[in-house]
Amino acid sequence: MTAAGFDDRAVRRAIRRRSRLPTVLGLAGAAIVGALLFTAVLAPWLAPYDPKERIARPFLPPSSEHLLGTNDVGHDLLSEIIFGSRVSLLVGLVAATVALLIGTTVGVLAGYYPKRLGSTLMRGVDVILILPFLPLLIVLAAYLGRSLLNTILVIGVLIWAEPARIIRSQVLSLRSREYVLAARSMGAPDRWTILRHIVPRTALLATGSFVRAVSGAILLEAALSFLGLGDPIQKSWGSTLYWAQTRGAFLTPAWKWWVLPPGLLIMLASLGFALIAFSLEERINPRL
Amino acid sequence: MGGGEVRRSGRVEGLRRQIDLRRVAQYGFVVVVAVTLNFLLPRLMPGNPLALIAGVDVGLLDPDQRAEIVARVGLDAPLWQQYLRYWGGILTGDFGYSFRANRPIVEMIWDRLPWTLLITGLSLVVSAVTGVVLGALSAWRRGTKGDLSLLSGMISVESLPSFWLGMVLISVFAVQWGLLPSFGAVTPASDLVGWAHTWDIVSHAIMPVTALSIVGTPGVYMTMRYSMLETLGEDYIRTARAKGAGERRVLFGHVARNAIAPVITVLAIRLGFAFGGTVIIETVFSYPGLGRLVFEAVAGRDYPVMQAAFLVFTGAVLMANLAADLLYPLIDPRTRTS
Repeated sequence: MTAAGFDDRAVRRAIRRRSRLPTVLGLAGAAIVGALLFTAVLAPWLAPYDPKERIARPFLPPSSEHLLGTNDVGHDLLSEIIFGSRVSLLVGLVAATVALLIGTTVGVLAGYYPKRLGSTLMRGVDVILILPFLPLLIVLAAYLGRSLLNTILVIGVLIWAEPARIIRSQVLSLRSREYVLAARSMGAPDRWTILRHIVPRTALLATGSFVRAVSGAILLEAALSFLGLGDPIQKSWGSTLYWAQTRGAFLTPAWKWWVLPPGLLIMLASLGFALIAFSLEERINPRL
Repeated sequence: MGGGEVRRSGRVEGLRRQIDLRRVAQYGFVVVVAVTLNFLLPRLMPGNPLALIAGVDVGLLDPDQRAEIVARVGLDAPLWQQYLRYWGGILTGDFGYSFRANRPIVEMIWDRLPWTLLITGLSLVVSAVTGVVLGALSAWRRGTKGDLSLLSGMISVESLPSFWLGMVLISVFAVQWGLLPSFGAVTPASDLVGWAHTWDIVSHAIMPVTALSIVGTPGVYMTMRYSMLETLGEDYIRTARAKGAGERRVLFGHVARNAIAPVITVLAIRLGFAFGGTVIIETVFSYPGLGRLVFEAVAGRDYPVMQAAFLVFTGAVLMANLAADLLYPLIDPRTRTS
């Protein structure tokens, strides 16, 4: 059997291309994230207008003064979208941080004390993973009320379960390594062993899950805002789309400048972090 | 004949064993958590409990009406009695009453459920088939241009906001080209019968199903691809090659067949996601399903309806998981406990 796919040269070429892909994708992701962070930080200088000020007639099509036209109350859409990057990235990063803190704590404890504490904690993790995610998010958001802090909290407390599971399995294998056993046999307190030997070695894995969580949190923030459950004062890409939907902009030619740009940016932001996460995960655990 | 008989009885045996009591206990625990969460959330939140629990506009009621609703919902009883009563209602299939819609909530859910089942069911089939086929091809041609572009493409699709995808589909196919209807599940006030009626339903479902299928595919694809890559490294694949089995036979008869089992579990979890995802997709398409009901309830502060829908979603997810537990040993005999 000399199938073309198993020709020696082709295999070698494929392996080279394969090992390059995560790096290329990771760099692309970093470039996207860098550009968006730049926009978010410099938003007041980049945006041509104040996004909360009525500066023109409503529903204007794009022109040289308003590159993306105006919305239903006469806000400049381009400025709104530039400022929107702040909410998306802020919620994404902070919610993922909350998730990482809970996830690492639970994961490390469950992995280090696998018997009673560990199995109880993992039962909680399983429950969170099974519960219908989006409906639960909506129920919590509806009861807590609309604010930036609540959006962050609701997303953060629902996405920590996956990182917790990943970190736990790493800790489970770490705790039987020689250096951990050595430290314990010399009477090191658990706290010291965990902080000195376990936690640092989960850092790479935790970074991977953190970046993956940011990518997911950005999409969730957009979805909540789109459903009208976001902070009513903050303009995010999701809320721009909420108004485009409420005012029926997607039923008129306005969809090209009102609906397309914010959605593409949500996708780009989420994708940027997803690409970085992919390249990190491939490096930690090459599955290709 | 005899061999088949033996195998079949072995299968039933495996099935029975697979209904693992621990799994069932876990699902039961999830139900308890969901119900308790539902019970506690509105009672812990700041605000008027009558508004949060019964979902009524307290300001619009006179004292008599208020007292009547308090008595009807049982808010005058001690907390533990309320909790028992809440369980009692759920176990007897009584999800309470929507004072805003002036209807029993169960009725509202039954009206909406078929539509949601229609579009989630169809999209699950589409994304399962697409994901499995593309994932298998991708892994089979691992490292090639085709594999890498498919993989990158799927990572991108995973970042698509589903509601935006829906809005763009409507703008292009319904508004720009006028090919498909932009909202609802049927044309309102039309007395279509027979094929015209069926086509009406199909044409309304095409875009929501497309959107749900597109967002649902990457998860299946990724799982299938990785599972295939793992299977490709197994000894029995080398054996199959060594004994001279054709490439096609190795791919379909050996690799894909063994790699598909983990996909079943992912599909069950996907079903949960897809079910929850309908809140967004049905809102975009104004599709009269359970997801849209959740959105309407949230927007109209009809909290009991929102809660009941959440329980139905939970039940659906658990049933999907249970089905996956039962199916798994049929597909992957290695997991059958002897």
